[in-house]
Amino acid sequence: MMFWILIAALTAAATLAVLVPLSRNRQPAGAAASKADEAVYREQLETVDRDLKRGLIEPEAAEAARTEIARRLLSASERQTQTVEKSERSLQNKIAIGLAIVFLPAATFGLYIFLGSPDQPDQPLSARLEGPAQGQSVDVLVARVERHLAENPEDGQGWAVIAPVYMTIGQPESSARAYANALRIVGPNADWLTDMGEALTIANQGLVTADARKAFDQAVSLQPEAVKPRFFLALALGQEGRTDEAVAAWEQLLEGEDETQAWVGAARAQLAELQGTAPPVANRPGPTEEDIAVTSDMTAEDRQTMIQGMVSGLAERLSAEGGSVDEWNQLMRAYMVLGEKQKAETALNDALAAYAENPDDLSLIKDAADQLGLTGS
Amino acid sequence: MIIEFGHYALVLAFALTLVQSIIPFWGGITGNERLMAVASPVSVMLFILVLISFIVLTMAYLSSDFSVLNVVQNSHSAKPFLYKFTGVWGNHEGSMLLWVLILVFFGALVGFFGGNLPADLRALTLAVQGWVTAGFILFLLATSNPFQRVVNPPLEGADLNPILQDIGLAIHPPLLYVGYVGFSITFSFAVAALILGRTDAAWARWVRPWTLLAWCFLTLGIAMGSYWAYYELGWGGWWFWDPVENASFMPWLAGTALLHSAIVMEKREALKVWTILLAIFTFSLSLLGTFLVRSGVLTSVHAFATDPARGVFILGLLCIFIGGSLALYAWRAPMLKQGGLFAPISREGGLVLNNLFLTAACAAVFVGTLYPLVLDAITGETISVGAPFFNLTFGPLMIPLLMAVPFGPILSWKRGDLLAACQRLYVALGIALAMTLFTFWLWGMEKVLAPLGVGLGVWVMAGAVSEILTRVKLFEIGLKRGISRLWGLPGSAWGTAVAHFGVGVTVLGIVTASAFQEEHIQTMRPGDSVELSGYQVTFDGAAPRRGPNYTEEVGHFTIRKGGVVVSELDPSKRVYTARQMPTTEAGIYTTGFSQVYLSLGESRGDGAVDVRVYFKPMITLIWIGCVIMSIGAVFSMADRRLRVGAPKPSRKRTAAAAPAPAE
Repeated sequence: MMFWILIAALTAAATLAVLVPLSRNRQPAGAAASKADEAVYREQLETVDRDLKRGLIEPEAAEAARTEIARRLLSASERQTQTVEKSERSLQNKIAIGLAIVFLPAATFGLYIFLGSPDQPDQPLSARLEGPAQGQSVDVLVARVERHLAENPEDGQGWAVIAPVYMTIGQPESSARAYANALRIVGPNADWLTDMGEALTIANQGLVTADARKAFDQAVSLQPEAVKPRFFLALALGQEGRTDEAVAAWEQLLEGEDETQAWVGAARAQLAELQGTAPPVANRPGPTEEDIAVTSDMTAEDRQTMIQGMVSGLAERLSAEGGSVDEWNQLMRAYMVLGEKQKAETALNDALAAYAENPDDLSLIKDAADQLGLTGS
Repeated sequence: MIIEFGHYALVLAFALTLVQSIIPFWGGITGNERLMAVASPVSVMLFILVLISFIVLTMAYLSSDFSVLNVVQNSHSAKPFLYKFTGVWGNHEGSMLLWVLILVFFGALVGFFGGNLPADLRALTLAVQGWVTAGFILFLLATSNPFQRVVNPPLEGADLNPILQDIGLAIHPPLLYVGYVGFSITFSFAVAALILGRTDAAWARWVRPWTLLAWCFLTLGIAMGSYWAYYELGWGGWWFWDPVENASFMPWLAGTALLHSAIVMEKREALKVWTILLAIFTFSLSLLGTFLVRSGVLTSVHAFATDPARGVFILGLLCIFIGGSLALYAWRAPMLKQGGLFAPISREGGLVLNNLFLTAACAAVFVGTLYPLVLDAITGETISVGAPFFNLTFGPLMIPLLMAVPFGPILSWKRGDLLAACQRLYVALGIALAMTLFTFWLWGMEKVLAPLGVGLGVWVMAGAVSEILTRVKLFEIGLKRGISRLWGLPGSAWGTAVAHFGVGVTVLGIVTASAFQEEHIQTMRPGDSVELSGYQVTFDGAAPRRGPNYTEEVGHFTIRKGGVVVSELDPSKRVYTARQMPTTEAGIYTTGFSQVYLSLGESRGDGAVDVRVYFKPMITLIWIGCVIMSIGAVFSMADRRLRVGAPKPSRKRTAAAAPAPAE
C-alpha cells in the first residue's frame, strides 16, 4: 500500500511541474528575448571600453568594434518573435494540460506495469541471512554457516556440521575442504577421515586419488575394523591395476560378512570383475566411475531400496496409478544407474505422455532426461 | 519496495521527457510563453527523478540486494564498500543510468541558471535535450534495464571485473561522462539555434560556459583514464591508440576546435557555419564513442555489453540524432548571414588555422579507428591500426599547430601584424632554442627528433608566459604596476595562457617520457639488482598475500640511489577469486616529475620472477599538463563577461555560479 501512495505522490509532483508554469501569466516572449540579447551586446561594448582604457587594443580597433557591436544591438532590438493568436493559444494550453494530467500518469503507469514487478520486495543480503531459519532454503542456511565460519575459521565443529551438507547439495570439493578444516582443528577422527576420502573420490569422478587414499589409510589405522575405508582402499587397488592385491583385499573384506549388508553386492561385483567372471545380475562390465559417483553418495539402505524396491515396485506403481514428476525422474535415474538405457527411455516416454498437458512439468522431465543423456525417442 | 520505487521513477522520467520534448518545443516555435515556461521546472524535476532511481540502484548495490539482476551480475558481497559503490557504474546498465543522470543534470543546470537566456532559446534547447534524454531512457528501459528483478535471488553475485576494482573507477568515468555528455547541451543549443534561426554573437556567448565546462571535465577524464591504464595494465604505456581511447579523444579534438571557433563567433559573428557544425560534430562523436563501446563492436575493458540488440538500438539513435541534426543543418546553414570580415593574418585567421588542424587531426583519428572496423565488417579481413599510423598522421598535424599556438593570442582581431608578433615572441623563441641545444648537448646526436620536441614543448610554454607578460607590458611599466595589471586581466586571457601553457607541459612530458625512457625486462632472483638511470633496483623476494576478494603474489623491491635507500615498492599480481581473473598492480616511485615503474610478470619458480623495470623521465608532466589545461578552462569560466546578462539583478549571483555546482 505504502508503495502505491509513494508512486502516486511522485506522479503528482511530476504533473505539477508541468501544470504550475502553464497556469502562470507571462510577459510576452519577444520582449524578454531582445532584452537578453541586448544585455550581451551592452556588456561587449563595456568590454571594448575597458580594454581600450587598459591599452589592450588600439583606439581605431576599438572604434571599429563598437560600430560592429552597435549594429548587432540594433538588429537584436528589431527582432520580432512571431506570436500566435489568442484563441489558438488557449487551445494549445488545453492540450498541454491534457498531456500533463492524462498522458503523463497513464503512460507511466502502463509502462511500469509492463516492465516492473511491484509485488517483489527488496531482499538485501543481510536481512536474508539474519531472518528466522525456518522456511529458508538450504542455500541460505549454508551461506549463514559459511559466514559464521568466515568470521570464526577455527570453529572445528562448525566445519564438521557443514561438511555433510555440502555432500547432499552436490559440492564434494567444499565438503572435503570442510572435513580437512575440522580434522585440522579438532584432531583425527576416523569417520571424518572416511567421509573426506569419499568426498574427494566423488569429486574426482569415482577415482580414489592419492589424497583420498591417505585419508582412508589414516582412518583404517585409527579403526582397523571399519568397513567403509577398507572398501575404498580395495577399490583404489583395483583402479591402480594391482589386481592381485585388490582381489586379496576384497576377499578379506568379504570374509565372514553378513550377506544382507548393502555394500556386499557391490563388493562381489568388483571381485567378480577382477577375477574375470562378471556376475549375471548386473549385465555389464562392472561399475563405471560415474556409477560410483552416483551410488556412493547414498547410504547402503538407499542403494538397496533403489535396486530392489524402486526399479520393480516404482515402475509398476507409476504405470498403474501415475505419480509425481520427481518419481518419474527417479525411475529414469534408477534405470540409467543399472545400465538399462532402453527401459529408461521407455520410462521417459511414459512420463512425457503422462504430463503432456502440463508444460512446466514437461520441461522438468526433459531437463532431467537431458542430464541423464536420454533422448526420448 | 524501494527498488520498485526507483524503477517507477525512471519510467516516470521517460514519460516526462516526452512531455518535455513536446510542450516547450511547440511553445518555442509558436511563441507561446506559457508553454515555453514549462521547460525549466520540468528539467529540474527530471533530474530529481533520475537521481532517485540512481540512488535506489546504488542502495541495491550497497546492500547486496541480489534480487536485482544487475547487482547479481556485477557485485559480490565480499567486495569492499568503495567498489560496491563505484560498481554501480562499472557495468553497462549502471553506466548508462549515470549517462542519463548527467544528461538531465545538464538540462537542470540550464533550467536553473538559464535565466539570462531568451525564453524561446531556452525552451527549445531544453526540448532538444529532452529528445536526447528520451532516446537514452528508452534505450535503458527497452534493452538494458538496471532494475530487472530475479525471482529466486542467488546468495552471491558474479563480482565486478577486477581491473575496475580500483579507485580509478570512482574518478575516471564520472569525469569523462560529465565531459562527454556535457557536449549534449552545446548540441541542443546548436539545434535550437538552427530551428529558431538565432545564430548570432549572443548565442556563442551563451553556449560558451557549457562548452568550457564540458571540455574541462573531458580533459580531466581522458587524463585520468590514461593514468589509470598506465598503472593498472602494467605495460608501462600511457596511451595505446586503442579504439576506446580514440572514442573519447575524438570529441575532445572536435570540442577543442569548437571552443576556439565559438570565440570568433562571439567576438566577430564570423565562423557561424563552422561553430554550429562543430557543436553538432562534437556530440555526434560522443555518441559514436558510446556506440563503439556499447555495441560489442570492440573488445576491451570498456566493452560491457555484447548484446547485438543494444548495438542496433544505439545505431538507430545515432542515425536519428546525427542524421536529423545534419539534415537540419543542411537546410538552415545556407540561410546564416555571414558576419565580420578578417584578413588571413589575424586572430580570426589563427583560430581558423587551429580549427583546420584540429579537425584534420580528428579525421585522422577517425579513419584510424573506424577503418579496421569497417574493413572487418565488409571483407572479414582483420587489420590492426596502431601507433605507427597515428604517429605518421596525427603527429605531423600537431607539429605546425603547436608551432603556431603562441602566435594566436598575440595577433590582433581583424588584421594582425605577423612581424610584430614575432618580435614579441623572440624571448620565448630564444628560450626554446636554448633548451633544444641544451638537450642536444646532453644526449648528443643519437636522438635527433627528441631535442626538437623538447624545444617545441618549451616554445609553447614560454609563448604562453610571454603572452601574459606582453599583455600587461611588464617590461615597460615596471614590476609594481605590472602586477596590478596582471590582476586586472580578464579571466579569458588568463584561461588562454594557462591552457596553452598546459599544452606545452603535456608535450614536454610526452617527448621526454617516450624518447629518454630506460627499460629493462628480465628474470630476477631474490637479491638481484638492476641499474637504470642512476637508480639501483633490488629484488628482495616475493610472498603471497590475501585481500578481501583476491589473493596476490607481492614482490618486494628496494630502490637505492648512490647506495642510499630512497623507496621500497611492492608491485603485485592479483587473482580475483570470484572471476578467477588476474590483474597486475604496478609499483611506482615518483621523484620530481619522473617515475621508476615496476611491474611483475610470470613467476619462474624457485623465487625468480620476470620483472619489467622502467625509468620514465618527466612522465607525470603529461597528466599535470592536462590538469593545467582544465584549470585554464576554469579561469575562462570565471571571466566576468560570462556572468552578465541576467535580466534581474537578484539572478546575477546565481548566473555567476552557473558552472560552480559541477566543480
